[in-house]
Amino acid sequence: MAESLPPMSGHVTKPTVHNEAYFDEPERRRPPITVVGPVAWVRSNLFGSTLDTMLTVVGSLFLLFTALTLLQWSVGAANWYAIIFNMRLFLVGRVETFLDLRLSLLALYIALVVGVNLAAWSIVRARVWQLWLAGLVSLFVIPWLIEASIALPPTYLGAGQREIVSGSVTTRPLERVAFIGRSGEEVVFTLAEFASEEELARLSSFTDVVTNTLRNAARNRLLEQERRATIEERLAGQRLTERQRAELEAEWAESELPPPIRETHQVSAAPVAVSVRASWNDEVLASGLIGSGDALRFTLPQDGWYMLEKHIPVQDESIGLLAVAGVYPIFDRSFIRDGERINQYVRATDRLLIEGGRPREADGGDMLMLGIIDHQYKGLRGIDEYLRVMVAPFLQQINRSLAAFSAFIALGYFGAAWLKQREERFVQTVRRAAVWLWLALIPLAFILIIGVGESGPIQASDPQLWGGLLLTLLLTTVGIVVAFPIGIAMALGRRSSLPAIRIASTLYIELVRGVPLITLLFMSTLMVPFVVPSLSGPDSAPYRIMIALILFSAAYLAEIVRGGLQGLPPGQEEAGKAVGLPAWRITLHITLPQALRAVIPALVGQFISLYKDTSLVAIAGLIDLTGVATGIAGQTEFQALRRETYFYIFIIYFIFSFVMSLVSRRVEASGAGAVRRE
Amino acid sequence: MLEGISAKADSAVEDTLREDTEPIIICREVNKWFGDFHVLRDVSVEVAPREVVVVIGPSGSGKSTFIRCINRLEEHQEGQIIVDGMELGHDIRNISAIRQEIGMVFQQFNLFPHLTALQNITLAPSIVRHRPRAEAKEIAMQLLERVGIPEQANKYPGQLSGGQQQRVAIARALAMEPKIMLFDEPTSALDPEMIKEVLDVMKELARSGMTMLVVTHEMGFAREVADRVLFFDHGRIVEQGTPEYFFEQAQHPRTKLFLSQIL
Repeated sequence: MAESLPPMSGHVTKPTVHNEAYFDEPERRRPPITVVGPVAWVRSNLFGSTLDTMLTVVGSLFLLFTALTLLQWSVGAANWYAIIFNMRLFLVGRVETFLDLRLSLLALYIALVVGVNLAAWSIVRARVWQLWLAGLVSLFVIPWLIEASIALPPTYLGAGQREIVSGSVTTRPLERVAFIGRSGEEVVFTLAEFASEEELARLSSFTDVVTNTLRNAARNRLLEQERRATIEERLAGQRLTERQRAELEAEWAESELPPPIRETHQVSAAPVAVSVRASWNDEVLASGLIGSGDALRFTLPQDGWYMLEKHIPVQDESIGLLAVAGVYPIFDRSFIRDGERINQYVRATDRLLIEGGRPREADGGDMLMLGIIDHQYKGLRGIDEYLRVMVAPFLQQINRSLAAFSAFIALGYFGAAWLKQREERFVQTVRRAAVWLWLALIPLAFILIIGVGESGPIQASDPQLWGGLLLTLLLTTVGIVVAFPIGIAMALGRRSSLPAIRIASTLYIELVRGVPLITLLFMSTLMVPFVVPSLSGPDSAPYRIMIALILFSAAYLAEIVRGGLQGLPPGQEEAGKAVGLPAWRITLHITLPQALRAVIPALVGQFISLYKDTSLVAIAGLIDLTGVATGIAGQTEFQALRRETYFYIFIIYFIFSFVMSLVSRRVEASGAGAVRRE
Repeated sequence: MLEGISAKADSAVEDTLREDTEPIIICREVNKWFGDFHVLRDVSVEVAPREVVVVIGPSGSGKSTFIRCINRLEEHQEGQIIVDGMELGHDIRNISAIRQEIGMVFQQFNLFPHLTALQNITLAPSIVRHRPRAEAKEIAMQLLERVGIPEQANKYPGQLSGGQQQRVAIARALAMEPKIMLFDEPTSALDPEMIKEVLDVMKELARSGMTMLVVTHEMGFAREVADRVLFFDHGRIVEQGTPEYFFEQAQHPRTKLFLSQIL
């Protein structure tokens, strides 16, 4: 066995000098405490010098200003229904519904793998799990608390026969409108009365177009009144030149105060006749004439559609404004399920879902419904209404998915941690499993996302419909995973001693790096079909884009890996040669592993930048996260909600990048990433 | 098991004895240039099996380049180098066969930092010699025992002291069961405290009959262990002889100057 070990003439005795301390260790002394208390910390870190103080003040003012502005906008004005309603679009685009289950499974698998990896490479302290659990529980408790403690504002609906004109808007109250409700819910109709013009102008709630127009008109009148008051005040002042005075007077003369809206429109002057019928049997559930101080209450018998009729029975010029509690706007969506078109209607405030069966008018057409398009929340909100109207529905929408995802992370973590604890040798097993589980994700994702066959549990999906976060992550992952080996090959090729390979690699790298990504994306849609004719159809658009991204990131990865190889001391390769390893074995076992470890930060940087660069595919016609945001801003019901949608994808992009750089920092800090140099 | 080992060891001894008559390394008129700089000038040396040759000389004299030529880490441009009957030329099979006969220890240790001490030692035998993992590991443990640090087997090089690293490096070279060991200033990067532990291992190796070529500044080691000392200056072997001759009766003025400066 130990065939030609040189014969030994004797063992070397263990060296007498140990590196361990063999003398008595001196008593441990702690370092002296130099900073005492928060005040001293603040003084030394924030107000150390005049310049520090100035920078601290300017910096905190800036932060405070930004935070307050954002908060004020988010609470007071932002319409987050664009996010709540389009959640699926943001996540997966317009993929077929049969993919939902498969994608959920994939997400849960990833959660499981994340859990196993957490256990394999680090220890999550109990405190972190407790905080996490508390966070999750609060996602369920907070919306419940909000709904229990804060009442929803009523929906305002107009009635009457007259047209209302304000600026370019001309509108007329609807006589019939359909709404959905839940069994046992109470609906209350009252007449909305306004004590003053200001009260009408400050109205904030779900409103129909009529109410909204009245409110805006009242608001415009108030603004005009204020402007005139300012001019009068300035004219009354002493120090004005002739010219200034003339200008102000001209301005005053030009301005015209509209007549008071409340009075001219006779808001809620006459009683309104209201009747509500059930859609399934046309039975009248409640009806009555609602005058000042009256309230019509009744309870809904079951989940479903109801029809509301409202009109002012006397012929006059008045507008009746109804404040309706228990009736709220509806999102509608339609999709194909098992070859049938399905319509779903979801109540904005609590996600009550009614499928199909929308009431019809006598002439057979669909009855107009209390849609979110015309019944948006309008006006400046207070924090209570913000919580009730925006936060609670959003949390309710995400809490179950987050809980399921977290549960699987915990399952993976505690399962693996239990194994790890049982026996020392399982530590390696768990680590190996952690890596293999990631590798298994590739075929699994392939099957679950792309699918095979015309029907069955894994029927093929249409790549054209992939979108949103799904597409973004898919493009990023493919761009990294497939490009990685190519990049390594190119890096080695560029260092090769064979001129043909070296020149080809160098040419490839420099060509790709010399072209903007967007150009590559456009080129790929035109050039790939030349090389691979089967990728010419519109349904292979994502594949063409993937090819461009792979080519692009391979070139950059190649340069990063080459940098790592260049940075290795030449002794490593020599040592490999000296023990008789063939060149490719030296690369595989010695130089490449070290080079890759050394460039982990740069690699992660490249991954993150590819992740962000995928947003460019929106220009090349794919509907990724950015594409979805642009698309939503173009939807009728969410026009002018660009801020909300882009703010939302800003957060999504950030969360994923942040997690990536967090993981990379952990990998760097751990032994696995650190290059253990002599 | 044990019997098997000793029987095989015996036959190995016989092999070595039979080859004793032939030199194991033959260098004839070896010349090498780095660009225009003439590093090695007509170097001719023969090394017998089991001989311990110490190469000394001022820095830049070409002594390191010389021993690096022997396992083809540097390429010589003129002359002949024949190791164990195989000539070093452009034939890549010869190069790899010769490298498997020669172990090398570097000044900077050059351990693989991403592998444990044990993995450093088992890597080449399991790849080149196709040794089963368990066997490679067993031999590696024996070698670590031999260099006196079996308890460091699962540590990474970065966790070891310089002396320990160099001893792992020696074990790594021995794992390929080489006939010749080259040492390129093995103690120059070590703290004085650690030089002794490495020299002890080298002395043991010399006593066990290994053919060794050692570039070093450790004159004590040369005096005690060497069969022959080569003195290099300006790419030439200026003088050579037994340690007794070299340290007491050196003739060449360059040698005398060098010795007077370091002794």
